[in-house]
Amino acid sequence: MSLERSLKQFEDDRKEAVRIAARLLLASGTTSPRVGGVGECTTHILDDACDIEDLCQQMEKMSEEKKAWGFFKRDAMMLRDADAVLIVTSLRSLTDPSDINCNMCGRLTCDYLREEEKLPNEPGVAFTGPLCIFRANNIAYAIDGIVSMARNLGIDYGVFWSVGAAAMRMKILPKATGFSLGVAISVTEKSPFRDIPLKYDEINQRTMNDRIIQRLWPQFRSIYS
Amino acid sequence: MAIIEMDDLIKNGLDRALELMAVAAHNSFRFGNRNTMKMVSLGNEELEEIAEFCLSMADMSPLAARDGRFVMELIKEPNGFLLFGDKRKSDFNYDCGACGFRTCAELNKADEVESLTAIGPSCQFKNINLNIAANAAASMAWRLGLHCRVFGTLAMAARALEIIDADITASVSVSVANVDPYFDRHKFWTKDYWDEIFKKEFPTFGRGFIGAIEDDD
Repeated sequence: MSLERSLKQFEDDRKEAVRIAARLLLASGTTSPRVGGVGECTTHILDDACDIEDLCQQMEKMSEEKKAWGFFKRDAMMLRDADAVLIVTSLRSLTDPSDINCNMCGRLTCDYLREEEKLPNEPGVAFTGPLCIFRANNIAYAIDGIVSMARNLGIDYGVFWSVGAAAMRMKILPKATGFSLGVAISVTEKSPFRDIPLKYDEINQRTMNDRIIQRLWPQFRSIYS
Repeated sequence: MAIIEMDDLIKNGLDRALELMAVAAHNSFRFGNRNTMKMVSLGNEELEEIAEFCLSMADMSPLAARDGRFVMELIKEPNGFLLFGDKRKSDFNYDCGACGFRTCAELNKADEVESLTAIGPSCQFKNINLNIAANAAASMAWRLGLHCRVFGTLAMAARALEIIDADITASVSVSVANVDPYFDRHKFWTKDYWDEIFKKEFPTFGRGFIGAIEDDD
């Protein structure tokens, strides 16, 4: 039985709601406070399922690089259920320390931090630190601006650092990006970011569907028809 | 029905607001599902101490001195101040590299570097969690209609004065002053000083076509 017209309309409107909400979240994240009152963050929206899938595959690839990143696989599976992803960047944390000599990076002065050799951009390194932590902290305000608006709108959200790391690796963010984090949002009746089974990368609605419907049904049909 | 005067209403409201901000910060999103953050509310006495410390830093940091002068004004009207702090070491095991060390274990083993402002090197995600909490408090203040600003300088001064036992800090100040005291703070700089600094930082601003120096004396 095909979907009723009204149900198709609901699905279209749900997707439109995601598009509008993602942009409102971007607005809230953009206007949140910045340390020292200096702007340096950008927010990028991925609301195309194919773009999100590319990101998920990159995350899965990265999960093989380090034992500590095993959970990237699980994050990727959650992200496949997301309707849109917002990626927040810090554009000055890598190359332009804040010159306030705050010592949060442990280098006493910003000049020492400038002289410090960065980690190489290679597998096993997500962010090529040491970064200017004072600058990168701006992302915290942007992320909470997004989260705060998502809560006001009643939209489910999940915050993932694996998303930022993968997006940087894919080079889809501005060139100067030193640090980035991602927020996935979902406009569905059940949040895809909560109540996650432990082996979610193996056992989830998609794989259950693949096994039961895609694998068993064709066999069942060919035998019993 | 008993009459409650406006001053009392405002003062009580501010106290409630600070508590709500604290709850919002306490329950804010955080990486690693850990709440290792410390949080205290400071009164005018501590703020005065912080202001004096900031003023004493005038030679090193004109910004700190400006904030010192500002706090001296701020405490004349009802205000609140939430101070957040955390330890610098990582307990996430993310091995992300943002701190400049390949693994969290290397960061935790690295020599501690002390300064007045913070103790480093610190975990980027500890910082992110701390500042998300600060923003959650600021966000609550915004919803409650309070004047509000997030301060790095005052938080660092509070740490230097050992008001909080932390390596990294952030702070949120709120006020119910008649006029929003946190923005357009021109009165804390003299015009001469401002002109002098502007000329030093942007020497070419007053120059004419292709850099010709115009005599403006």
